[in-house]
Amino acid sequence: MRLRTLALCLPVALLACGGALAPTRGGLSAEAQLGEAIFKDTRLSASGQQACATCHVAADAHGAPNAFPAQFGGAALDLQGTRQSPSIRYLATNTPFFFDKEGTPTGGFFWDGRVDTLAEQAGGPFLNPLEMAMPGKAAVVERLAQGAYADAFRQTYGAAIFADTEAAYRAMTLALQRYQLEDPAFRPYDSKYDAFLDGKVRLSDAEARGLALFNDPRKGNCAACHPSTRGADGSRPLFTDFTYDALGVPRNPALQANADPAHFDLGLGARLGREDLYGAFKVPSLRNVARRKALFHNGRFTSLKEAVTFYVQRDTNPEKWYPRDADGNVVKFDDLPPAFRRNVNVTEAPYDRTPGQAPALDEAEIDDLVAFLQTLNDGFQP
Amino acid sequence: MRTAPLSLALLLAAAPLAAQTPDLAEKVERLSREVERLKAEAAPAQPSSTSILGYGEIVFSRYRRDGAKDTADLRRFVLGVTHAFDADTELVTEVEVEHAVSSADDKGEVEIEQAYILHRLSPAWSIRAGLFLVPSGLLNERHEPTVYYGVERNLVETAIIPSTWREGGVQVAGDLGSGFLLQAGVSTGFDLGKWDASSTEGAESPLGAVHQELSGAKAHDLAVFGALNWRGVPGLHLGASIFHGKGSHAASGVPPLSATLWEAHGRWTPGAWDLSALYARGEISGTAAFNQPLVGFPTLMPRTFDGWYVQAARQVWASGPRALAAFARFETVNTAAAFATLSPASLTPAPARAERVWTAGASFNLNPHVVVKADLRRFREDRNQDRFNLGLGWAF
Repeated sequence: MRLRTLALCLPVALLACGGALAPTRGGLSAEAQLGEAIFKDTRLSASGQQACATCHVAADAHGAPNAFPAQFGGAALDLQGTRQSPSIRYLATNTPFFFDKEGTPTGGFFWDGRVDTLAEQAGGPFLNPLEMAMPGKAAVVERLAQGAYADAFRQTYGAAIFADTEAAYRAMTLALQRYQLEDPAFRPYDSKYDAFLDGKVRLSDAEARGLALFNDPRKGNCAACHPSTRGADGSRPLFTDFTYDALGVPRNPALQANADPAHFDLGLGARLGREDLYGAFKVPSLRNVARRKALFHNGRFTSLKEAVTFYVQRDTNPEKWYPRDADGNVVKFDDLPPAFRRNVNVTEAPYDRTPGQAPALDEAEIDDLVAFLQTLNDGFQP
Repeated sequence: MRTAPLSLALLLAAAPLAAQTPDLAEKVERLSREVERLKAEAAPAQPSSTSILGYGEIVFSRYRRDGAKDTADLRRFVLGVTHAFDADTELVTEVEVEHAVSSADDKGEVEIEQAYILHRLSPAWSIRAGLFLVPSGLLNERHEPTVYYGVERNLVETAIIPSTWREGGVQVAGDLGSGFLLQAGVSTGFDLGKWDASSTEGAESPLGAVHQELSGAKAHDLAVFGALNWRGVPGLHLGASIFHGKGSHAASGVPPLSATLWEAHGRWTPGAWDLSALYARGEISGTAAFNQPLVGFPTLMPRTFDGWYVQAARQVWASGPRALAAFARFETVNTAAAFATLSPASLTPAPARAERVWTAGASFNLNPHVVVKADLRRFREDRNQDRFNLGLGWAF
């Protein structure tokens, strides 16, 4: 905790000494250094206690630092968001949102792909009333202009930059984007699996068996959406294909928004106004998934093993995951309105099963798969 | 040759006037025809140095167990142009269209099958440079439908030898005397790094899944090949070939891989009989390191794959250019005969079961250039492949 505080304060303190940024430090350009300072600046929130780095903690793979289904924000830090804070690592190669030639929604940022660039994504939380909750762009820019890095901001974007609120706000998001693109901490590729791909280490037997289950289209079939192999150009796998899927994750009662029974988070479909996509959310990268304290868009699961078990037992043992109605019937896919539960993926392995059938993975296989997923944590030390 | 620019100049010069004067236009037209006649008369008589060749096949297949698979397909349509620049040097080209229609929404392909320069160094030796067919097996270099028995080519020379297999490079061919013909060269090879473990393509033809067809071929690793054929006794043809090359092409993350394909073949045509046999074996080294990250996917890269066939055909009737022949063939093919041991060993895929195929049928030649074929194929492992084929082929 102390180290984290130090890490947050250090860039701001450095800037306070001189205000100007060295052309490069640690391989970061002046603009990226500016982005780093903004990323860690809690003054840019209504509470004065929240920065980008608060919900995207470097020590937690730039994801949420706790098991809350969604983080708390607002002026008094008492308002819970509606979705889990995702890790923002390994997003540099994500694309703007598009439908591929087969009609598959792909790309975009946030759980519902509502913006097309890292910069746009970076600009969102400042103004979200459930997050940093600033009253408007002008208020953000005003605080930027009072910051220790204000001179560096002017040097980078022009002496009159703060006179134009829109331009200054846009510049801030570009600085944040530059920081995320330049700092290798956002794409270290130093997991055990990376070392394994480089031929430097061997996976343990359990990890290797887990990888086989991950890849096997008849077993976990995870690789269908979370590719585990290098790209044709030799690029390392990101464990996401940046598409969307409706998984039917159970409703999470720990999410405050769900206190209203009429509230449903319809994800991509709500954004696009497409009922057939209600319930579809971004397929996240599985890199560092074992370090996440809450999983899925609604943070419903707090253990990786539980999440994997849900995948393989969702359809064979639905009573384990979903509530029953007054008649005792299991309400599958209860986080969607009844009319749209048909959107949930029930055709691909491991979902393609019915109650009474054996799950695609047994307990030992689930353990092996979890062992493999742990090799995706950054920071592997041989 | 010189008259052409002259006539063109006359016509161009006269054209504006001709537009104004009908009589003059008529005279220009007459003059033009006269110039063309004089050109034709002045040209020295010589045989055409450019020739067109072609072949094609249309196939109807009726499956024994699954009518939904029945197809009729213009499987290939090939046109070629050869041009002799002089007595020693010629260009050989072939353009192929597969499946009749090629577009973004159709399964067809358009491909250049051959495009090379042949230069005769001496009466016995020649050199080829460009895109040529690899000298491997009995069919790869000569695969016109009039040449082989059966509506479809045998499985060994489709799945193990990845016909139609061509590479870009340089080869020499020489008559060593006593019936020996040698071919050897350097060419592009396989891109083993593009192996797709999630598809079944590699299980259908391991090398077919990774050959490059000189289409932006990775060329960091080149291959060497050689073939020796002997036709020292009339009616008897024996031969063997080998092709070897690395296939990682300095790609990041692709461990060192190399592939070797060798085969031996024989054909004997005593009288009305036509007997042939072939064995082919492929080996890929470095597959353990390559496969380890791919465990679980359905199609890992095999360490070895092989196949052989024996075939007997006999001409049963002939009248002038027409002829009828019957044939039978047995073949066995294993596209994944062995895998390198993985860690843990329990993840090593089991070898595939060899597919054994009986094919029997007939070929009716209207003449040496047009053939109608019919056959029955029976598969021991994948019975869903059992089918009746009817084919029409031509070559000229």
